[in-house]
Amino acid sequence: MEKVYVTGYGIISALGAGTPATLESLHRRKSGIGPLRWLESMHSHLPCAEIPFSTDELRRMAGVPEEEMTTRTSLMGIIALGEALEMAGIRGKNSLNPVLISGTTVGGMENTEKYFLKMLTPDKTYDDYILSHDCGVCTQMIADHYGGFSMLSTLSTACSSAANALIMGSDMIRTGRTTIAVVGGSECLSKFHLNGFNTLKILDKDPCRPFDDTRAGLNLGEGAAYLVLESEASVKARGVKPLCLVAGYGNACDAYHQTASSPEGDGAVLSMTKALKEAGLTPGDIDYVNAHGTGTPNNDESEGKALMRVFGADSVPPVSSTKSYTGHTTSAAGGVESVISILAMLNDFLPVNLNYKNPMEMLSFRPVTDEKPPRPIRHVMTNSFGFGGNDTTCIFSKI
Amino acid sequence: MKKITSYCRITDQQVILNGKKLEISFSGDPGSARLTEIYRYLDAKYPKFHKMDNLSKAGFLASEIVLRSLDYDSETPDGSTSVVFANRSASLDDDKRFQETIDPDNYYPSPAVFVYTLPNIVTGEVAIRNKILGETSFFILKDFDAEKIHIFIEWAFSSPGINRVLCGWTEYLDDLCDVLVMMVEKESPEGMDFNTLNINQLY
Amino acid sequence: MEELILELKKQIIEALNLEDITPDDIDTNAPLFVEGLGLDSIDALELIVLMEKNYGIKLEDPGKSKEIFKSVATMAEYIQKHRTK
Repeated sequence: MEKVYVTGYGIISALGAGTPATLESLHRRKSGIGPLRWLESMHSHLPCAEIPFSTDELRRMAGVPEEEMTTRTSLMGIIALGEALEMAGIRGKNSLNPVLISGTTVGGMENTEKYFLKMLTPDKTYDDYILSHDCGVCTQMIADHYGGFSMLSTLSTACSSAANALIMGSDMIRTGRTTIAVVGGSECLSKFHLNGFNTLKILDKDPCRPFDDTRAGLNLGEGAAYLVLESEASVKARGVKPLCLVAGYGNACDAYHQTASSPEGDGAVLSMTKALKEAGLTPGDIDYVNAHGTGTPNNDESEGKALMRVFGADSVPPVSSTKSYTGHTTSAAGGVESVISILAMLNDFLPVNLNYKNPMEMLSFRPVTDEKPPRPIRHVMTNSFGFGGNDTTCIFSKI
Repeated sequence: MKKITSYCRITDQQVILNGKKLEISFSGDPGSARLTEIYRYLDAKYPKFHKMDNLSKAGFLASEIVLRSLDYDSETPDGSTSVVFANRSASLDDDKRFQETIDPDNYYPSPAVFVYTLPNIVTGEVAIRNKILGETSFFILKDFDAEKIHIFIEWAFSSPGINRVLCGWTEYLDDLCDVLVMMVEKESPEGMDFNTLNINQLY
Repeated sequence: MEELILELKKQIIEALNLEDITPDDIDTNAPLFVEGLGLDSIDALELIVLMEKNYGIKLEDPGKSKEIFKSVATMAEYIQKHRTK
């Protein structure tokens, strides 16, 4: 089976635009969580991790003209995709025909929820916004900005969407259906899902505290991240330097509840075990786990137990949740956190788990509080668990 | 050769299992009530059905019909089956219902409605009911596209250990039900060949 | 109180989509969660919405709610004491 390499990546989140800004925030332990600035919601007291740019600023950064219909989700995606394509050296090279697989759930809803009352009036000025509502249209907007994609696909599996996009892209390369797959996701904040998560009572009114005994919920975030995946043959043919290897991945269904995880983390155990098997690695090979770690009482206990079951209570590798920096970027989380995991691996540091003070007594391990890894980081694992029991794990390895 | 070993087509007019129309007499207009009539016809004994949104109900019912026809064991955890659905409207039918509950003039957000504002919850519901632990996924397409659906399902089989994929098109919006659920098996002596032509024909 | 209990049962059935159940089927003193009706965590959240929508009672602490939602009887008692609608 074909090897799958990562030859480029791009990211935008509450930590800023691009990998340099992201790295700096991680090293400086500077969280992007704070009061709402752009989203006009009655829940302005809830801490969120907004990207530190208004939609107008994003439009300028993305180079999308004023008159062109766009969405915040698409603009974020365009910016992140640009960085990835540039890094891989495939931007503007239309003959390469990569596929684009993008995860989103909100799509253009941030526009439509703002303007839909106006759409109901005789005033036709806002009617066109309805065209930008679709998830698929957002992917199209992101792709069309650069052109040259042979196939577009939009995945919507909640918080594991971007991670599943990575699986799909890798599988397409492994089975010879394509030589280059650009994968990831983009999601902006919306009143719709802010209200929704709030009504499920899983938001923390303070900055989230993953793996802390007093944790009370998650903070929503927004972000976009893409990775360029390539076959070995393509890497050789183009003469580019691959950045790391997609060693393995696994997806499994928890089959327990629509939104809660099973108490012992059955689905998570399955996805992590599958990923290790695919990668041909043992649990002892993993040097860092970027947990799903939302900071909800349910997830962190469930995932914590699953980690103990997979790695052994005494041998859980360094674990941290970077949602304490970026918030929960929902559909984009798998992409955002894959990029962060790769940055950690390539720069040999452990992203510290912010806001942690009180150990969870039922867990045998404690999250990372010191950036210095106990040993060189050769293999990293990242978890993304979505509503519907959709659990995904990805493993990247140094070359 | 992969085979389609069973399929169920649900539209506003009728419910078809493997080419035969199920004798359900619908009283009343298309929509949610009709889904409940199919549920009663099946006597599924699964009260959680009533809590689902229309998309999940439709996907659940078609899956129930297909799995029953294959005598599927819903009690034993099964890691060798995946569930992959696709549609055009995602969860828009339920999204609209949720939007009504966050109307600033009548603001009572409903958690039970919000849960279903994700298209892939239907795959979760089918997995919970039938203890399916394999991969689940949900795709959004512009329209029913047999070729793309064929690609997604082939992709699902590329994961090690997956022998069966419960899959198809689960579209539901504004009382219009347009569902085709199939069981595709890696190795089976019976059934029709799994290819784009046949998928189109079943639709 | 009897009237409130009947009203409450009807509202619970509607809010939680308990289609196959009538008010007579619900034992006023039986547990609502785990046993009895076997409601789950999402149902608990919907009951919180019900309290506010129909009786103007805001429940901020999901922890305290456990006691209030023990049975229809405990719910009715709480509503009688705290209702603003």
